[in-house]
Amino acid sequence: MRIIFPLLVIAFGLAGCTTLGVQPWEREVLAREDMQLDANPVDAALDDHIYFSKEASSGGRGFGGGGCGCN
Amino acid sequence: MDPYPPDHRVARCERAPGSSALRRWFLFALLLAAVSVGSPMAGFAAEDTLDLAQYRGRVVVVDFWASWCTPCRRSIPWLNEMRAKYGDRGLVIIGVNVDKDRREAERFLKEVPAEFGIVYDPNGRLATSYQIEGMPSSLVFGRDGELAARHLGFQNANRPEYEVLLGKLLKVAPASAATDAAP
Amino acid sequence: MSAKDTRIGSAIAAATCTLLGTTTTAPVVAEEAANWEFDSALLYYGESDGRVTDLSASILARRDFDDDRFLNLDLAVDTLTGASPSGAISTGAPQTFTSPSGDAVYTTAAGEIPFDDTFLDTRFALNVSWSQPFARLYTLTAGLGFSTEYDYQHMGANFGVTRDFNRRNTTLSAALAYSQDDIDPVGGAPIGFAQMLDVGDDSGKGGSESKDVLDLLLGVTQVLGRATVLRVNYSYSDSSGYLTDPYKFLSVVDPLTGDTLARTPGPGSQGPTGVYLYENRPDSRRKQSLFAELKHDFSGKVLGVSYRFATDDWSVDSHTLDARFRWPLGQSSYLEPHFRYYMQTAAEFYRFSLVDGQALPEFASADPRLADLDGITFGLKFGHKTASRNEWSARVELYRQTGSVASDQIIGNQAGRPQFPDLDAVIAQLSYRFKL
Repeated sequence: MRIIFPLLVIAFGLAGCTTLGVQPWEREVLAREDMQLDANPVDAALDDHIYFSKEASSGGRGFGGGGCGCN
Repeated sequence: MDPYPPDHRVARCERAPGSSALRRWFLFALLLAAVSVGSPMAGFAAEDTLDLAQYRGRVVVVDFWASWCTPCRRSIPWLNEMRAKYGDRGLVIIGVNVDKDRREAERFLKEVPAEFGIVYDPNGRLATSYQIEGMPSSLVFGRDGELAARHLGFQNANRPEYEVLLGKLLKVAPASAATDAAP
Repeated sequence: MSAKDTRIGSAIAAATCTLLGTTTTAPVVAEEAANWEFDSALLYYGESDGRVTDLSASILARRDFDDDRFLNLDLAVDTLTGASPSGAISTGAPQTFTSPSGDAVYTTAAGEIPFDDTFLDTRFALNVSWSQPFARLYTLTAGLGFSTEYDYQHMGANFGVTRDFNRRNTTLSAALAYSQDDIDPVGGAPIGFAQMLDVGDDSGKGGSESKDVLDLLLGVTQVLGRATVLRVNYSYSDSSGYLTDPYKFLSVVDPLTGDTLARTPGPGSQGPTGVYLYENRPDSRRKQSLFAELKHDFSGKVLGVSYRFATDDWSVDSHTLDARFRWPLGQSSYLEPHFRYYMQTAAEFYRFSLVDGQALPEFASADPRLADLDGITFGLKFGHKTASRNEWSARVELYRQTGSVASDQIIGNQAGRPQFPDLDAVIAQLSYRFKL
């Protein structure tokens, strides 16, 4: 329940955001390498491996979205 | 004699009629604003206008591109190829650059030269008026000035089909203003 | 000639031109050579006081194919050595333990937290994945993973799909992963709560074990503005099988003094000088997490902040806050400070020690990684892009982990002795990203 409730709040919040965003030609900043959500996959993988061995929680990051929105 | 209102063509292809009159007025006002802010097409103004009426009788490809758009690295060389191949048969290619920073566009063009005219649209006014849905986008107008196709994105796999479409549009006799009946 | 004939004639000519390719006009580079992009890294992880040291080398290779399809290959090797806490607690006398292999013993001085330093392990991991668009707005990804080390084998498969909405301002992602791990501990997997016996006596030990894990991830990525993007993920994970750490055990202590019960090894044998029971964890674990990440550009400087809340049916709750700030230096370099804060609550079966005379709980573990703990990381990364657009980078991070044991678990003399093996580690990494 502790997860489901905030998740529903976020889901409904974002559902109301369907008009949120930018025009397809306004993505010059979002297209930059340093603005990608998976900008440093190697660092992220190495860190995940370290923290997985030293702590009891792991994962959660996922993939997809943002960027230049091309094609 | 009208300034080739892009919306009228778009309205015909994509939207239900009815609101087209109001839109046409709005876009005419926009074009007027663009004309008053920028300078005529041929110059290197901060913001250019696009008047396609002068190309009536030729097949026009209006290609929206940006320096940050990776598929544009493939679309521009291909358009160069099309222009080289069909330019003397009446194919006109106009690139509309939507970079906010002109220098980025120029840097891109040094690496990927465009052998066709570039119109600069840093504030996205042309992109808005042509209702661009994604990058890159190209609009193809037949010899009669009608919008024949919209291409959203650029895929290498679609090049042959795209070229066939250009061929078909170029086949239409230049004098004819009527749309070509499908074979 | 009729109009129709002309059209057909032209059509044939046009078709022939296409088949023959470019004519005698100036050749134009329409094709882009398929490219490889490599991301290589060398990492050193070192804990203070002779504890764990890890050296790893990894390479991530990405091959772009036509039209947004790509192949990812990830190869990593790492070697782990050094001492890690076994779960036993410090006591007033020196302690001797049988090593995991059952062939030798190792000792800990009086008053010190026992560490097992008999580890030397090399791990190889390979991950392959393929990604391609499907019907303009969809992307499909499929991958396989494999890793092997002396006592552990992992194999996994994953599949994911993303769908763009709202002119690619919104992306929904879903992914499923399944993995099967085989554990073949050195000396055999101990039977839960079996007592640690003398060298050569493996009656409390079994053979190999396995576990499988199913992971589900659902995510939304939303462009909030020209310079801002937000991602929110929900993930669910279900592990079942052998989830115990075969090398960890608990000390059995006197109910009044809190000192570890003494034991004498058999005549002519070497073995433990105390009573130690191997840990026993549940055979299933269900975890859920909510993760949110925001990236914002401040005129060239990028701030990335993420927060993750995780909870599971072992009662481990955790909060992770991570922040990075990329500061460009000139046209080709950057500095990126990093801060991470982690906090978790203990697993419900975490026990500091087992009390002699009390009923044995159903599950128990003294693994410090399941205790109440905090971890703080401070890091700095420097990167530089060369003229050929390759990038060098170096980063150094300092990680400090501190933990605590609930006072109701501390008995007698245990209060005056070190309890949680606080950790100080350095992470140093050198990376090189290049294209071919």
